[in-house]
Amino acid sequence: MATGQQSSDGLMKWGLVAPALLLLIGLNIFPLAYNIRLSFTKATLTQAPADHEAVGGRNYARIFKADESNRYAAALRTTARFVLMAVSIELLLGYLLALSLKPRFPGKSVVLLVFLIPMMLSPAVMALFWNLIYDEEFGVLNQALRFVGFASVPGWKTDTAVKFYTILMIDVWMWTPFMMLISMAALNAIPDYIYEAAEIDRARRWTVFRRITLPMSAPLLILAALLRTTDALKQFDYVMAITGPNDPATETLSTLMYQVMFRNFKVGLGSAYAIVVLVIVIAVATLFIRYLDRLREQEHAL
Amino acid sequence: MKHARWLVIAPYFLLTILPLAWIFLTSIKVQEDTNSRTVKFIPSLAKEIPDDSRRFTVSPDAYTRLEEKHTGVEYGFYRYLANSVIIGFISTLASVTLGTCCAYGFSRFKIPGARDWLFFILSTRFLPPLAVVMPILLMYRQFDLQNTHLGLIILYTSFNLSLSIWLMKGFIDEIPRAYEEAALVDGYSRWHAFVRIILPHARTGIAVTAVFCLISAWNEYGFAMTLNQQQAVTVPVYFAGLQGNISGIPWPQVAAGIIVFVAPVMVFTVLVRKHLLRGVTFGTVKQ
Repeated sequence: MATGQQSSDGLMKWGLVAPALLLLIGLNIFPLAYNIRLSFTKATLTQAPADHEAVGGRNYARIFKADESNRYAAALRTTARFVLMAVSIELLLGYLLALSLKPRFPGKSVVLLVFLIPMMLSPAVMALFWNLIYDEEFGVLNQALRFVGFASVPGWKTDTAVKFYTILMIDVWMWTPFMMLISMAALNAIPDYIYEAAEIDRARRWTVFRRITLPMSAPLLILAALLRTTDALKQFDYVMAITGPNDPATETLSTLMYQVMFRNFKVGLGSAYAIVVLVIVIAVATLFIRYLDRLREQEHAL
Repeated sequence: MKHARWLVIAPYFLLTILPLAWIFLTSIKVQEDTNSRTVKFIPSLAKEIPDDSRRFTVSPDAYTRLEEKHTGVEYGFYRYLANSVIIGFISTLASVTLGTCCAYGFSRFKIPGARDWLFFILSTRFLPPLAVVMPILLMYRQFDLQNTHLGLIILYTSFNLSLSIWLMKGFIDEIPRAYEEAALVDGYSRWHAFVRIILPHARTGIAVTAVFCLISAWNEYGFAMTLNQQQAVTVPVYFAGLQGNISGIPWPQVAAGIIVFVAPVMVFTVLVRKHLLRGVTFGTVKQ
């Protein structure tokens, strides 16, 4: 009887988990392996898979060639700069907002709802709309700047030195709420009695912040930063909408891959490129997963 | 000092709400009023308004003419909205179903290498779409899945699975084992225990998971654009495709479209507001 139950359990447990795992393998692992194979070929978009010609490591050699005009290195730098700036601005701003929003006040839930709306919008569609706001001549932003007295207004989408920041601002506008949300949870998790104890000790506000609030909310802030980093590394939608791919000033890893694969049809080269990006993402994601694991274990320990 | 917080909240509130307000104002304009030398921001009911005025005539056109076909596009807005609804809802149903079953398996049974499997599942979330899009495109060509609803449904299902499994595992772990064990003693089969005991207790979790899967499928752009030309184009791809339109981007319709398209997401978000954090952090943070 007991063994009968066990063997039907064995069948059932694989019946429960196998479909999901098979789907993940079929649509993630298999394509990834296929992509590695493609990266060693000269495949083009229009070729049948049978005609893909092997070229050994030539695609990779092209990527790592130390060359001033190396687009890949440039895109990598642009992406790194984007991730670094976006994540740190959003984290700082989000945390500051969460600190400010901690006390209760009338209308707080409405303010919170408004703050969260940008996160809900479709990035691709919202980025398209930003084109209207940013328009050099007719856009509301520049008209407002002229109105308050600026003699010359920036070409948000045309000026090579500005474009990057235009896209950065959209990212900050859309994803600061995410950082705020996690920061709020981090602050809420700090028990009140610790603050009460500090009050009895007559600790100064700054000391309380530095010795209690910041260290106790740090783990979740790191989690938030890692989550945003892995997302920002894939930046695609805003660049596509504001400058399109193939603009040296704003070319990120994802838009460069899109350009190489779908506009220049160089699938082999694009695939090699994707693998290099993947290695970077895996490095960051490993950090994230390790961290997450530790966080969960701590939770169990409590 | 007590009011210092408003120095942070008030400017950021303005920064957030001004673009949102601009979406709304644009959606009640006509095209000519969206691109004018004097920016128009005061809604008015007057019919005749001089060109250099800050006022503009309120018009419901953008909403009533959402369906209008634009140059170079095959259908009107609602056809694409229907695509988004079909793809979004079916893929959500599929990933929640598969995710719940899988999460139950991992939560209640000893599965060899469970930890490694779970981390493998989580790691798929970080896969850059462009690293797999080409092989998927070639696979889809082979199986005639390009330009089909089914193609995107399968893809979104698999991409939401990691979120679905991790969220559901968290929720199912919280249901005491004693509930099922009692049922098993009473002669329920495992399957019945799962359906009659676990599923009802996991209702909240299922709802929260569904909302997050739906939102990510709803707003996805990269895959939807690269795997489709016409038949299964979703709303984000439709609007993004209007860029570079010969007759200019129909701004009022874009604005109205944004509002119509975000409405369900807003409703769902408000419904699961208590679990928002759990959703965006893959269940690692429990509020």
